[in-house]
Amino acid sequence: MNRECILMMADDDPDDREFVREAFEESGFRGEFRYVDDGAALLDYLALARDSGRRGAHPIPDLILLDLNMPRIDGHEALKRIKSDERLRRIPIVVLSTTESQTDVERTYDEGVNSFITKPASFAELVEMAKRLKIYWLELVKLPGETAAR
Amino acid sequence: MTDGANDEFEALQARVRELEERLESRASEETFRLVVETAPYGMVVADASGSIVLCNPQAERMFGYTTEQLLAARIEDLVPPRFRSAHPRLRQTFHEDPVHRPMGAGRDLLACRRNGSEFPIEIALTPLPRSEGLLVLATIVDITSRKRGEEELLRYSRRLEQSNAELESFASIASHDLQEPLRKIRMMGERLAGLCEAELGEQGRDYLDRMIRAGDNMHRLVRDLLEFSRVGMRQQSFRLLPLGTALGEALAALELLIEETGAEIRAGELPSAEVEETQMVQLFQNLVGNALKFRREGVSPIVEVRGSVETGATGERVRIEVADNGIGFDPRYGERIFQIFQRLHGKGKYGGTGIGLAICKKIVDNHEGRIQASAEPGEGSVFVVDLPLRKRRQFDTDSDPK
Repeated sequence: MNRECILMMADDDPDDREFVREAFEESGFRGEFRYVDDGAALLDYLALARDSGRRGAHPIPDLILLDLNMPRIDGHEALKRIKSDERLRRIPIVVLSTTESQTDVERTYDEGVNSFITKPASFAELVEMAKRLKIYWLELVKLPGETAAR
Repeated sequence: MTDGANDEFEALQARVRELEERLESRASEETFRLVVETAPYGMVVADASGSIVLCNPQAERMFGYTTEQLLAARIEDLVPPRFRSAHPRLRQTFHEDPVHRPMGAGRDLLACRRNGSEFPIEIALTPLPRSEGLLVLATIVDITSRKRGEEELLRYSRRLEQSNAELESFASIASHDLQEPLRKIRMMGERLAGLCEAELGEQGRDYLDRMIRAGDNMHRLVRDLLEFSRVGMRQQSFRLLPLGTALGEALAALELLIEETGAEIRAGELPSAEVEETQMVQLFQNLVGNALKFRREGVSPIVEVRGSVETGATGERVRIEVADNGIGFDPRYGERIFQIFQRLHGKGKYGGTGIGLAICKKIVDNHEGRIQASAEPGEGSVFVVDLPLRKRRQFDTDSDPK
């Protein structure tokens, strides 16, 4: 990583946001952790980011962590809209949800999610998850990055 | 005999034959009339022009006409006004290719009484070739009550589906909303234990551990309760499945436990039955898991799974036995162990929520089967599941109309 990574989390639960932020800190993530309260706020943010690119107050995130059950615009709807936006759809999105229902999982993949993770039940597992997400999405895989969307 | 006499004799013979035939035909005409009169269906005979030439009392009652009125009517008068203009063409089509058309075949037809009211019917058409032209016999059944029954059944099954869907969504919402706070209690507890270990002290740490464990317990209870409530509520697909396949899957899921306990699983040949696969896997998993859990200390568990097919008064039935050499139980509790949250042992020794066997019972009930357990303390236990080999169809639609 030769630049600061931006991690965006959309979750209406402040406790969960804090857990995930702390877990990423503990995993050695040194980028910027941002969050929004719901799907509508995420779409607002991305609309600004789309037009300003990586510079400015609303940089395009490198990875989005998305909750499904949120007020106003839920995760499914937000996911569909991002994945149908030509300039946003390449941003990897990982759904972090409490649901374990197979129907939900299948539906979310149909909507174009990159990974689906059921929220771990312990902090230790959460740190483990953060480590893996960091290594995989922010270090290992080659992202469309600078050339395309930005 | 002279030629003349011979001729006369032949003419006489011909006359006799003719009379015989007429008598015979009159007799068969009589028989036909009698059949029509007494048939339990409405019967109407019409000629090529659609005029009614014969009818029976049942048809008169069904359509609300007297004999004279019905004999003066045309077939079209028995058809609801809005279909009348199209009907002669249908009749003509039948006359062009007059083959017997049986009842049913899923046609929903309406007929019209003299007072204008309409009712659903089923109708069979039979061509009756006559020297004077083709006649058509229409056999008519009033299916009002059957229709009403079908509609009631449909309404009932829709209500059932709806309430099932509501329950399912309630269960998933309840599980989500109940699990959320539990997950947080656990996480906060872990954070507290990790970050404030020094300040907590030994006693504080102990209380915290117990709090976290209680939270975990509650988490398992909610999860198992949800699982219990979901049996038979999701979309189910019953199909003929070799039960050995389901057992194999269950054993694969239990692999770790089998290895840890050093258990020997003796799986005999199992028959096939029409079952819901995921439920059957869970049934085996719970039964074998239960056998391993209540093993005797210092004795390698042996679990034997046997199957057979028996033919009884209610058709072919599949019998599955899961026998173990574990601690067994007091036969007094043979019924109680299948009730939800019932435990025969203190929580300290054997973990679990007391839902596993209740789920087994629910699965077996869902397959219209029976489950029983027999045991002696210290002698191991045997669980016997008895299922119909073929699932009974609940709403058979292809039964014959009466």
